[in-house]
Amino acid sequence: MEAICSSLEPLFPCREAAIETLGELIGDSSEAYPSAIYLFGHSGTGKTALTRAFLKECGKRQNVRTAHLNAIECYTTKIMLEILLDSLVPEQGDALKVDNMLDFVEQLRRQAAPRVEDQGFLIAVDNAERLRDMDANVLPVLLRLQELTNLNLCVILLSQLPFEKFYNKTGLSEVICLHLAQYNKAETQRILGSDFEQVRNQLLEQFAQDKKRLEICQEAVTEDFYNNYLNLFLSVFYKACRDVPELQLTARKCLSIYLEPVLDGTVDATDISRLWRHIAGPLRSALTQIYMRIEKPAEEAEDFTAIEDQSVRKLAQSLELPYYAKFLLIAAFLASHNAANQDKRLFVKHHGKQRKRMQTVNARAKTTEKMSTTLGPKSFSIDRLLAIFYAILEEKVGLTCNLLSQISTLVHLKLLSFVSGEQNIMEGSARLQCTIGLEFVLQIGKVVGFNVRQYLCDFM
Amino acid sequence: MDPTISVSKGCFVYKNGATRAGKKAASKRKRPAAESISLLGKEVVQQPFYEEYRKAWNQINDHIADLQHRSYARTLEQLVDFVVGQAERATPDEVLPTAALLTGINQPDHLSQFTALTQRLHAQRAAMVCVLQSRDCATLKAAVESLVFGLIEDDAEVEQMEDEDEDEDGAERDRKRLRRSQCTMKQLKSWYTNNFDSEQKRRQLVVILPDFECFNASVLQDLILILSAHCGSLPFVLVLGVATAMTAVHGTLPYHVSNKIRLRVFQTQAAPTGLNEVLDKVLLSPKYAFHLSGKTFKFLTHIFLYYDFSIHGFIQGFKYCLMEHFFGGNAYALCTDYSKALGRIKQLTHDDMETIRRLPSFRPYVEQINDCKRIIAVLTDDDYLKKKLPQLLRDCLLHFLLFRCSLEFLTELVGDLPRCPLGKLRRELYVNCLNRAVISTPEYKECQQMLSFLSKDEFVAKVNRALERTEHFLVEEIAPLELGEACTAVLRPKLEAIRLAVDEVVKATMATVTRTSPNETRQATDHLTPVASRQELKDQLLQRSKEDKMRHQLNTPTTQFARALQKTLQLIETEIVQDNLRALQDAPPIHELFVFSDIATVRRNIIGAPRAALHTALNNPHFYMQCKCCELQDQSLLVGTLPDLSVVYKLHLECGRMINLFDWLQAFRSVVSGSDNEEVAQEQIDPQIQARFTRAVAELQFLGYIKMSKRKTDHATRLTW
Repeated sequence: MEAICSSLEPLFPCREAAIETLGELIGDSSEAYPSAIYLFGHSGTGKTALTRAFLKECGKRQNVRTAHLNAIECYTTKIMLEILLDSLVPEQGDALKVDNMLDFVEQLRRQAAPRVEDQGFLIAVDNAERLRDMDANVLPVLLRLQELTNLNLCVILLSQLPFEKFYNKTGLSEVICLHLAQYNKAETQRILGSDFEQVRNQLLEQFAQDKKRLEICQEAVTEDFYNNYLNLFLSVFYKACRDVPELQLTARKCLSIYLEPVLDGTVDATDISRLWRHIAGPLRSALTQIYMRIEKPAEEAEDFTAIEDQSVRKLAQSLELPYYAKFLLIAAFLASHNAANQDKRLFVKHHGKQRKRMQTVNARAKTTEKMSTTLGPKSFSIDRLLAIFYAILEEKVGLTCNLLSQISTLVHLKLLSFVSGEQNIMEGSARLQCTIGLEFVLQIGKVVGFNVRQYLCDFM
Repeated sequence: MDPTISVSKGCFVYKNGATRAGKKAASKRKRPAAESISLLGKEVVQQPFYEEYRKAWNQINDHIADLQHRSYARTLEQLVDFVVGQAERATPDEVLPTAALLTGINQPDHLSQFTALTQRLHAQRAAMVCVLQSRDCATLKAAVESLVFGLIEDDAEVEQMEDEDEDEDGAERDRKRLRRSQCTMKQLKSWYTNNFDSEQKRRQLVVILPDFECFNASVLQDLILILSAHCGSLPFVLVLGVATAMTAVHGTLPYHVSNKIRLRVFQTQAAPTGLNEVLDKVLLSPKYAFHLSGKTFKFLTHIFLYYDFSIHGFIQGFKYCLMEHFFGGNAYALCTDYSKALGRIKQLTHDDMETIRRLPSFRPYVEQINDCKRIIAVLTDDDYLKKKLPQLLRDCLLHFLLFRCSLEFLTELVGDLPRCPLGKLRRELYVNCLNRAVISTPEYKECQQMLSFLSKDEFVAKVNRALERTEHFLVEEIAPLELGEACTAVLRPKLEAIRLAVDEVVKATMATVTRTSPNETRQATDHLTPVASRQELKDQLLQRSKEDKMRHQLNTPTTQFARALQKTLQLIETEIVQDNLRALQDAPPIHELFVFSDIATVRRNIIGAPRAALHTALNNPHFYMQCKCCELQDQSLLVGTLPDLSVVYKLHLECGRMINLFDWLQAFRSVVSGSDNEEVAQEQIDPQIQARFTRAVAELQFLGYIKMSKRKTDHATRLTW
């Protein structure tokens, strides 16, 4: 047990406590395992990595049979059972066939029993929250598998949710819960800093050709320098993201920018405040695309600061739609954000005079909460969409197949979506909804020279 | 049919192990079918017009395919490099390499791109490819199954391609057909370890999702999570075909999924650019004798730009025009290269000659002959006309070549003027020039004015550029053609003249030319006539200022430079625009043989208008049925002899949103029985008429025009407006 823990601790800094607990629970295969352990914590806190490493160590040192599976993959129970059985008792090979839970328990018992007395079995299930949606017997059986098979077996469930979320009507047997808390700032910095050697070597390798830079690099990149950088980095990022792998990735990306002025010789490596001024902008822009994982090919790497601040304006201009599709989209937006009884007033030339009464004036005195652009889109029928389309389009176009197929194209592109009646479009009762925002539609209107604001009740 | 010993009637299956053989036979049968190319009989296929049509279409099609292939090539190359590159780099823990290909909104068009990608990857033997359509992925189970099945089957196909018959049995054994339910990731893993685990044979597993937007978000997320989880052991590469923009990807994938992928964005050529390329390089190429008239051209581009952005659709539309043109008869077989057309002339029959004589542009030709005998000869003597034809054909072909060259000149000249009055692109100018006499249009005048406002340097540079481009075009495109030399011979002197004029402009100074017009002296002495009222004075002043302006405009330019410039413009107008860029109606005789302009047919046949067609059918059944009983003087007429459905339809058009069934029935009865006096209305309704009415209403409902109302009893709701 101690051997396992001590071999894992350097790999997972700041997780000593968790490793020790795990070690106490399942570190020794000659002792009885608990029937189930529930390991939970946010993403990026090391649940999976830790468990995987732990199982591997156990398998190596104590000849424990282990199985690690991802619940997402198990869209049928059968798949899950086969994977489990295959990794716990691999002797069977291709002939392996498990149809249901009973079969699984039976086979496991039969094949595992004649083996050495104190053989241990460990099962880890990732994304365990998915087990709730599977067959009703899966979760209860997994939790009591030890009891059912009469083997020294432990099931480790990994999830992001607390175990309370698993309770159901029939109740579950008790498990041991183990929480992996999020790393605090200091811990994060320690973890990020632990790969200093690796980063340094990588940098040195990168500049191997360039003598001058290599020298500067060797001199400047010290542990202190790196820690300073991480400190600055975390001051921007820690509020937004605590996912350690993500932070690690972004930190490495930004390091080259941070290092740039030092390598050029313009800023001294110890002059932190000037370095900060230099890096603040790029860091902030990197913050906007954390998690997006857009990778740039080498030749485009330099415009890192300017990449993809996908503003709505740019998006609307870059989205190429045929002319009528643009108008259809505008019409859909108008139909979604105006009440149907206002249509006549908006789109018919001689719509008559509107009588003003105190009541209506009051009703129309809109507060921002009542604005339909902020309330979200309402549904509309295809007839109404086409009517508005013809009203806002100046030229006359026939109602052809090509035009109608544009509607379905827009649905495919997820710019419109069906609210109801997707099956009976022919009947005319299908209702659609426009899913794009005001900014976007204003831009499209600008492209085709149509003032959308003018036709929105909210802005009248 | 084999006799069977059976007491019952039925369908019997004989097991003869023929499935495999059947497949072979089918593939053999396919081949001869491919050779005999067409559904049409021999008598059509061997006609000259059909041969010409096929030749023209094949040429153009190959040209387009080649062009598209080249324009895809760059992106494809990058993509292939990306996929192959993934093999070398060790993937960090569970991150799925992903390529997002921004394809543009017409997804069916881009399937061909993905096929090309698949072929390339196969050719390099770098990867197994599975194209995963959204329709196959309604659930996660279906998605994974079709993914695994696709990858394994893909392998089988490749193997089969490589060693066609070598070890049939071995392949057979390997390919013991997989059942769908067996296709799991586990299966894939074992398959991969069996086949490719050794270092040198290692291949990427490429999963292509051509229509990213259509995927169910949760299925897609799970799929990506699964793929990324297996990334360590199976080298997956994901390729997404994104129709809109990257935000769609980020919108669909939440953080915990998107941090499992490593995304690289590839941009393909935008559809309009692709179309412009096709138009400029192929349709407007001087190589082909076939041309579209301005209106047809505009019509086809209109469909593309306004409706669907589908290049494939555009090409099919163009093909339709081509067919329609050549199927006009054997006379149209002349629409080909000059020398070939000469050969074809001999084959023309009397009917074909008549077709030529009936062409609208033939009449002006006859009229301009002033010899009576020759007119008669042209109109009656086939041999005489055949002798004349080569000259006519030559004139026509030459005209089109000159037109094309001059278009090049004009495009360079006016393409980048502010606000582009005549259009910016070659295709717009083509349409403008072909539709009407461009000289007389206000847009042309505007262009000319703007050109004259240019500074000296700008103007000279512009004209020089235009000259250069035309020259280049002559050398590159025209010279290799049959009539190229003739065309060059005509155009060169004109260009030379313009060049000289430009030289004049270069030499010209800004010195004013002193030539006082007589008006100016008059103006000085001109006094205001005495006026009686303010109003009159105002009018007079207004008049005066207007005159001033007029004079200013008419005034010949005062500086040397302005004069030289004006002269150049004049020269361009007469030499290039007036002579060569003539509108279609002024084109040389028998140009109809080369230009397709029957836009009405094309429109009717390639644009479906279901609503209009239904309306016509119901409103005026005679249009389709051609029966005597339904002939209507006026479309809105209601006659008892019309089909019941039609009567009911016409009556329902008169109603508002809700239709009272009883009133409707009464109206129906009065129309059908043809009498509408009051007593009849009172008595019991003939059950036969009621039955007919009920049936017609049911049919109308079936067609989707009405719906029975639930709110109001005995009422129907109109669904159309």
